[in-house]
Amino acid sequence: MFEHLLNPRSIAVIGASSDERKIGNVIVKNLIYFGYGGRIYPVNPKNEIIYGHKTYPSLDSIEDEIDISIITLPATMVPDAVESCVKKNVKYVIAIAGGFSETGERGAELERMILDKIRGTNTRVIGPNTVGIYVPRSNVSTALTLPERTALPGDGSIAFISQSGALGLLTMDTIAEFGTGISAFINLGNRIDLSENELIKYFEDDEKTRSIVLYIENFKNGRDFFNVAKETVMKKPIVVLKSGRTSEGARAASLHTGALASNDAVTDGALAQAGIIRAYSETELMDYGKVLAYQKPLYGDRIAIVTTAGGLGVITADYLVSTEKGVGMKLAVISDENKKRIRDTIVPFGSAENPIDLTADGSTEQYSRVLEILNSERNVDGIIVYALFQTAKVDETLIDVLEDNMKGKPMVVGILGSKMGKRMILEAEKRGIPAFPSMERTVKAIKVLYMRGRYLKRRYEDGEQGS
Amino acid sequence: MENRVLEEWEIKEMLSRYGIRVPRGIVVESLPEKLELEFPVVLKVSDPRIIHKSDVGGVILNIKNYPDLKEKFMEMKRRFPDSKFLIESMERQGVEVIIGVIKDRTFGEAIMFGLGGIFTELYRDVSFRLIPIDEYDAREMIDEIKARKIFEGFRNIKANKDSVVDLLLKVSRLVTDMGGKIDQLDLNPVIVREDGAVVVDAKMVIIP
Repeated sequence: MFEHLLNPRSIAVIGASSDERKIGNVIVKNLIYFGYGGRIYPVNPKNEIIYGHKTYPSLDSIEDEIDISIITLPATMVPDAVESCVKKNVKYVIAIAGGFSETGERGAELERMILDKIRGTNTRVIGPNTVGIYVPRSNVSTALTLPERTALPGDGSIAFISQSGALGLLTMDTIAEFGTGISAFINLGNRIDLSENELIKYFEDDEKTRSIVLYIENFKNGRDFFNVAKETVMKKPIVVLKSGRTSEGARAASLHTGALASNDAVTDGALAQAGIIRAYSETELMDYGKVLAYQKPLYGDRIAIVTTAGGLGVITADYLVSTEKGVGMKLAVISDENKKRIRDTIVPFGSAENPIDLTADGSTEQYSRVLEILNSERNVDGIIVYALFQTAKVDETLIDVLEDNMKGKPMVVGILGSKMGKRMILEAEKRGIPAFPSMERTVKAIKVLYMRGRYLKRRYEDGEQGS
Repeated sequence: MENRVLEEWEIKEMLSRYGIRVPRGIVVESLPEKLELEFPVVLKVSDPRIIHKSDVGGVILNIKNYPDLKEKFMEMKRRFPDSKFLIESMERQGVEVIIGVIKDRTFGEAIMFGLGGIFTELYRDVSFRLIPIDEYDAREMIDEIKARKIFEGFRNIKANKDSVVDLLLKVSRLVTDMGGKIDQLDLNPVIVREDGAVVVDAKMVIIP
């Protein structure tokens, strides 16, 4: 459905300009900078050459099919530009400018004009008031980012749909630090046409996408979203960061239930019911999207912790087990037989009890052996491994061990530290190992795997009952 | 047309048809000579114009015998001369919960569960799911509230959790069967004991 949005063969830029201060200039420059390999058509009534591309006086003077048309003109000129796109049978229009319904009734009227123009046609509109799309696989970025100030993530498996452009770009800039990639980013903007519901359906079948994360301020159609998401989660995990948690909706209700039903309480219930993981910050949004994309679901809550630093083991155990300041899971009880095997592997002053502490004497070989034992342990459902590189006997090949262990029980890795630690997270990332730079983030990540497993199990059981 | 507030006895009749337990009771304009109800009883004004009965003194609890009822009935009749009255056997105590239904602007019909009484509003300890729900949803709703321990034998309190699950499912089905006509529904309180759940008071607003 959105194949040519994510893999456009040709892009027209309406309002392209040779003036470097204009949006219509930056858009063309960025298409070239990010290495877009398709055909670029700057549209501009003046006959100019922009970054080596000859301009066209109008869309209909282009003798080619146009997959995406980026409109960089101000709001009042957008309806006419959309009309020209409809005539040209352009598949997707990205309307960058603000100044629409977010500013008042006159802007809302412009949006209605655009909708009138595209009604009954094949042309779809993204936005308006959007930074557009960023798709690493086809090197398309319509965002007005300055490469010397911000980074964009590389190719990956997380599809990112955001109602806000700035939040989307900042979040992507942040995850780029640890090398996390995305399969596509789409900024819905004022969302007069293209909505999250259609995109979720599309990403469900998109081969590159393994998890879908959304930043949403308000749902376009809540019930549709619920129904679509409830179906999609059976194939791909969905994470939602929903803002406006504390604004109590004005509800005209005379009964008690209505007074208790803040918008957020209902949202919370609906998300849980549909099997959507809820995030409360941009960090959680991307961490959860990442762990769900990289790792299989966890069907039990008994966790083994492996560390070379005892302090990390006990803090993690607290955070894992506590229901107040923690995630309410269980510390696995290792069988006597395997405890003995672990004891034979590690130094005498280490701990074969969970959390398993290899101590500063721990080596890559010991990690490898202990992981092998834990994978054979019946009482362990999932594993948290701290890969800590501050001690001499642990070397870079630990990443190979962890990569190998991706075949085993669901595992989440914590890697702390800013020098070798950070380098190793980047390395883990390249190999699709879910690694996180703090204990809290590591524990929350494993909890999310469990939430997903629990939900899937429930739905499978429902299905069995039904048949 | 304006939304219509159903009378309590109408709602309770509807609930009964779904196998939901309600107290035994009768609707009267004047007090009958003989009452085939067990004492103690509760006397309530039954009038669609009065939604919040207790706020206007329209509910008298724990009436222990017929002479007492006669006296209370006269008093009520003086205050609400144009209304009918509901006389019900009073339910034994138990854990009070609230079950409700709203039409959410974003998601549509949603069902709520929470602990009843003053603490409901104080802590807003409630959970929601979209209608229709299945058994798993119903169990999660109960497990999600902070006071869930009350259904797990806290301080030897015996409250039948399965009966609440069953009630939530029946309410969900009732709402679905009504095909969008329920604007709001409050079952508050529902008394939950070892022997099951009984809807003691019910309010419903219907879209005509």
